[in-house]
Amino acid sequence: MIRLEDVEYFYPNGHKALDQVRLEIEKGEVVALMGENGAGKTTLLKHLNGLLKPTRGRVLVDGIDTRKATVAALSRKIGLVFQNAEDMFFSSTVWDEVAFSLRNFGYEEEVVKRRVEWALKFMELDRYVDQSPFVLSGGEKKRLALAIILAWSPDIIALDEPTTGQDQLQKEKLMEMIKLLNMQGRTVIISSHDVEFVAQLRPRVILMKKGKIISDGGAEEVFLDEEVLRSCNLLPPQIVSLTRRLDFLGIKPSLPHPRQLAEEILSKLGEYKI
Amino acid sequence: MAAIFQGLQFYPGKSIVHRLDPRVKLFLSSALLITTLLYLEVTVTTLIIAIEVALAAVSGTVKRWIRTVYGAIPLIIAVFAMNYLVRAFQYSGFLNPMGLYESFAASYRLIAFLASFSIFFLTTTPEELGMTLTKLRVPYTYTFAFISAIRFTPILAEELQTIMDAQRARGLELDRGGPLARIRKYIPVLVPLIVNILRRSYELAEAMEVKCFGASKKRTFLKELKMTPKDLAALVIIAVFFGSAIYLRFFYPLRIP
Repeated sequence: MIRLEDVEYFYPNGHKALDQVRLEIEKGEVVALMGENGAGKTTLLKHLNGLLKPTRGRVLVDGIDTRKATVAALSRKIGLVFQNAEDMFFSSTVWDEVAFSLRNFGYEEEVVKRRVEWALKFMELDRYVDQSPFVLSGGEKKRLALAIILAWSPDIIALDEPTTGQDQLQKEKLMEMIKLLNMQGRTVIISSHDVEFVAQLRPRVILMKKGKIISDGGAEEVFLDEEVLRSCNLLPPQIVSLTRRLDFLGIKPSLPHPRQLAEEILSKLGEYKI
Repeated sequence: MAAIFQGLQFYPGKSIVHRLDPRVKLFLSSALLITTLLYLEVTVTTLIIAIEVALAAVSGTVKRWIRTVYGAIPLIIAVFAMNYLVRAFQYSGFLNPMGLYESFAASYRLIAFLASFSIFFLTTTPEELGMTLTKLRVPYTYTFAFISAIRFTPILAEELQTIMDAQRARGLELDRGGPLARIRKYIPVLVPLIVNILRRSYELAEAMEVKCFGASKKRTFLKELKMTPKDLAALVIIAVFFGSAIYLRFFYPLRIP
């Protein structure tokens, strides 16, 4: 469980990046942090594994104050995948890249071998074991970044802007991955301004603006509040806008699954008897 | 370590130092630098640091200036250690007061040394810097390379931080282990950084070619540098001080600590 108690954070240049953030994330939740660039999403994520320590207030991960633990110790619980995967690649092979983190955490060589193989297979990268991470495609690099973190199997997985630069197919795979990880009982936290992606994922949505949490609730609840969304420079998902225009059919504004909405439209149209 | 670069980054301001002709400032910084190199005496170094602090105060950049010095502490300690070791052999003894004094003077001098150009860079826009170098007849290709290096420094410092964060999130503990182990631990940080620098330089080169860099041999500038009476006055004052510093060093050596 993650608990942020009135967290405030100032960058060394004096910029206030987090302002009175009060937040609790239970085990097994899927959470999306949303908001425009500079709203504080990444800053918040970096507080979870102790890369940043709160200026005021405190962050508790499973009851441990992040100020009293090392980043390495916290990272075993929380795997943070950075936005730009290339910022972490340095090894000559994909295999070594994944093994590096496991060795840092002091796993036995036997376990390292087993886990690397598992993680690469899981992310469908096993055919690249002997290749350089730098020759992978953009999508594969993102997958490798995730494989690196999954290898040590942290309970909480935080993904910073996982959908940027990904095509639709990759996004769908990512969505399945998140759902799968969640089914295994893991907490998944993503930061994103990809409204369509988040609408499809239907997580708990936390809207941030200028370092403050301004809205926190189910995806439907948050996405129906158009005024608050717009104040964060976000547009509601297309499907929500569509339901608003289908008022004449007696359809209420909501965040339905596309198929579910299609069926509803068909059944309503049936009443018209064209 | 990244803090040391902050002293090379321009911050806008309207102080007297900011408004001074960049050529005068370059002369000022060079004069301070050369004087620092000429004297090993702690008194002179202190005097120079005092002048530098005063200049930083006038230009309102004291905080950043201090951060530069702060960031240089590892370097200063390294210089002290090296000097101390060498002098321990020279004077055959680790507790020789002369050895201690000279090592202190050498590392103390480093502060004045680093700070001298920090004042120039903190108060001069990259554009002015370019104009200064052009006036000094440096070919524009080199001037441009120099300006971009300065412009990209803060970006690289930020990138360095991100990479360090990313690797720490993978369990890399940079501040653990012996000195050799620690150096080895920087490989995972340096490789992505160098890759990023190379990629960025290719991108910059392409962007420049798209914009026809070097198509015309003679460059013109939107603003031209002009010396005002104030600049000339400053120039004369600096020249007098600098001249007397050189005179005292070579023709009338002082007997001060």
